[in-house]
Amino acid sequence: MSFISVRNLIVDFKRVDEDGKEVLATRAIDGVSLDIEKGSFVAVVGMNGSGKSTLAKCLNGLIVPTSGEVVVDGMNTTDESKIWDVRKRIAMVFQNPDNQIVSSIVEDDVAFGPENLGVDPDEIRKRVDEALQRVDMYDCKDKGAHMLSGGQKQRIAIAGAVAMRPECIVFDEPTAMLDPRGRQQVLEIIRDLNANGITAVLITHYMEEAMQADRIIVMKDGKIFSDSTPNELFSNVELIESAGLEMPTRLALKNAKPGRSISVENVKTGTVLEKNVPVRNGLKVQNLRYVYNSGMPGETVAIDDMSFDIAEGSICGVIGHTGSGKSTMLQHLNGLLKPNEGEVYVGETCITDGKTKLVDIRRKVGLVFQYPEYQLFEETVAKDVAFGPKNLGITGDELDETVKKSIEIVGLNYDKIKDASPFELSGGMKRRVAIAGVIAMKPKILILDEPTAGLDPRAHREVLKMVRNIHEEMGITIIFVSHNMRDIAEMSDKVLVINKGKLMMEGTPREVFARKDELESVGLTVPEVRTIMAELKDKYPQINENILTLDEAVKELEKHNIKL
Amino acid sequence: MIRDITLGQYYPGKSPIHRLDARTKIIATLLFIVELFVVNNFWGFVIAAAAMFAVIGVSRVPLSFIFRGLTAVFLIIIFTFLINLFMVDGRVLWHWGILTITYEGLRRAFFMAVRLVLLIIGSSILTLCTKPIELTDGLEKLLKPLSKIGVPSHEIALMMTIALRFIPTLMEETDKIIKAQQARGADFESGNIVQRAKSLIPILIPLFISSFRIAQDLALAMEARCYHGGDGRTRMNEIHFKKGDVVAGIILVLFLAAIIASRYI
Repeated sequence: MSFISVRNLIVDFKRVDEDGKEVLATRAIDGVSLDIEKGSFVAVVGMNGSGKSTLAKCLNGLIVPTSGEVVVDGMNTTDESKIWDVRKRIAMVFQNPDNQIVSSIVEDDVAFGPENLGVDPDEIRKRVDEALQRVDMYDCKDKGAHMLSGGQKQRIAIAGAVAMRPECIVFDEPTAMLDPRGRQQVLEIIRDLNANGITAVLITHYMEEAMQADRIIVMKDGKIFSDSTPNELFSNVELIESAGLEMPTRLALKNAKPGRSISVENVKTGTVLEKNVPVRNGLKVQNLRYVYNSGMPGETVAIDDMSFDIAEGSICGVIGHTGSGKSTMLQHLNGLLKPNEGEVYVGETCITDGKTKLVDIRRKVGLVFQYPEYQLFEETVAKDVAFGPKNLGITGDELDETVKKSIEIVGLNYDKIKDASPFELSGGMKRRVAIAGVIAMKPKILILDEPTAGLDPRAHREVLKMVRNIHEEMGITIIFVSHNMRDIAEMSDKVLVINKGKLMMEGTPREVFARKDELESVGLTVPEVRTIMAELKDKYPQINENILTLDEAVKELEKHNIKL
Repeated sequence: MIRDITLGQYYPGKSPIHRLDARTKIIATLLFIVELFVVNNFWGFVIAAAAMFAVIGVSRVPLSFIFRGLTAVFLIIIFTFLINLFMVDGRVLWHWGILTITYEGLRRAFFMAVRLVLLIIGSSILTLCTKPIELTDGLEKLLKPLSKIGVPSHEIALMMTIALRFIPTLMEETDKIIKAQQARGADFESGNIVQRAKSLIPILIPLFISSFRIAQDLALAMEARCYHGGDGRTRMNEIHFKKGDVVAGIILVLFLAAIIASRYI
């Protein structure tokens, strides 16, 4: 018998209706059967709401099946006397790095699991040290958890799982909230653990990650849609499309037939913009400097002598690690933070001289934070979207009109959604409502901090489409932060690269991504297709390696008659 | 920035103070706080302050780090000082309009401010020199005798562990929500008291929802890591009374005697 065996699994989520009766809300898992062998590396992919996470939580009995069964190493997860033995064998690492760390100090948190299992103190000590070395966090063992970066926290969470000496670890989107460097480190650890005999189940939205597994299970509407090796899966373009996934760049390029357009890239199989728009009413930042705790013991320079400008009506991409100062910089652009030195001009107006009223700045510059859906608070969507414009003094018909238009621009149906509670919507829709709430203030410049974070590939493409739509319909300047270099390459007229509080590079995507080695030396990446072309250049020196989209790559390869 | 508040933070170290049993430190801190209210003259405060600085010296926590914690409560101290300064009757020293400063008021205000400063620094030494987990383990053990009469000592200790862990997280979350609503033109600074209270709704609701989400995630994560109550749990670092604790106990008794004696100087 296999290590984990799932038979005819059904999970229903119930809710209580108005009469107090339990009714079926959703069938999250609808008849799933599968086996997972010891030592294997299984990736689970699928859209948000396809049942991946629910399936994962069934494996260690966090969710009890409505019908069917899950058997781990001969133990049924519904057998309460065995549940701790099941969870000892199958550990789990969750998506949000912050919300799974129990103790304030790193090593105490790693010890939490073994302590619960009643392991001997000396043995716990040994396991904790080993686990921390495994994830390369031993030097941080005495640190406070809140001082760590997201990627480091996630490594601590993995150490906490490893210290329980499990046979299998289920990773529920462990990299969704991390920057590229953190993501890469976590993935390396997962591969290393698997190489050392731990069965790995990895839920992810990133096809590049899924490709590293021995086997990929695709979930759709609570059912297993496909179950095969990565090579088999990714040779089936139709299947990928209908499951709402995307093709890994490497394979897409390999499979591209000359003369046939590549269908997986729905957003825009684009030409990279290279026009030089003159600066008129755009944004100008001069010698910006910002210091946290100025004049106090813990003072840190967050932004150091930064100058750049962004042309009116253009789209500007911003890249940099978490903690590089990019969020701090963005908060200066609409007056949330005041610089210690330097000026910010929006058009002709200097917003940092202390004379401009804050309300007027916010009328000009809209800022959408990361995970903006967490700021929703009103009873209905329409009321929530109206919050911003109302604060600016817009009332009556004008207010209603603005709210309606904003909801439509973000791609939602106003009549259907206006009276719904924002909390009942799906994740992607909530995010659109939150963005509508900012564009309802009719800014001249819209700043989006990682607008696609945590979304599945299809929702990701839709949000990008929405950003383009806002740009075209409203004719405004857009500044957006992303860790996805493909998005940056395809969307931006100009790219700013921020590293350690300084502006490291600025230019068109082609200028910036031409400096691949420099970017990689500080741990940043370039679009996948650019990396592949650089690799190919070693073999075919005649090709141009500075290629940023798939279409360009296909053409370039065709030109030189190269077949992959 | 919000995450620089040192109150409740731990300063890693290996000093004799760090190595004391958490129970010793908790009891000593409680006694120190009680003593501060027993003291009624200048010399008593000198003794208390001297003892406190001696402990800080031994603990090797930098003074600057300790005083940074004070800046967060600086306003409260000033406020207490002013209230006492103007509200106590007695021999008038200075008079202007409705404001009167008396000798007794000045004395009380001064003592109160010193008391507060010593109290805050004194209790922050406890958290600075004790790992949160030891602190809560110590508390759990001190409360253990009470569990016979139904005090859930393990649960209280776990609640404290989680509270200490998530204070910085929730502070960051609050900071983010405030900024996000400010970016949507929310104004928390003007208007009368009713308007101001109402302006807090856009902060409080998202914060509540966030807290629930964190609670849900954390509960699941704890379950996945086999948490099933205090029974059968072991500890990586069991806390034990050692020789240092006996020495600390003797010093503490001497300190108590000195403080009580100071009342008769």
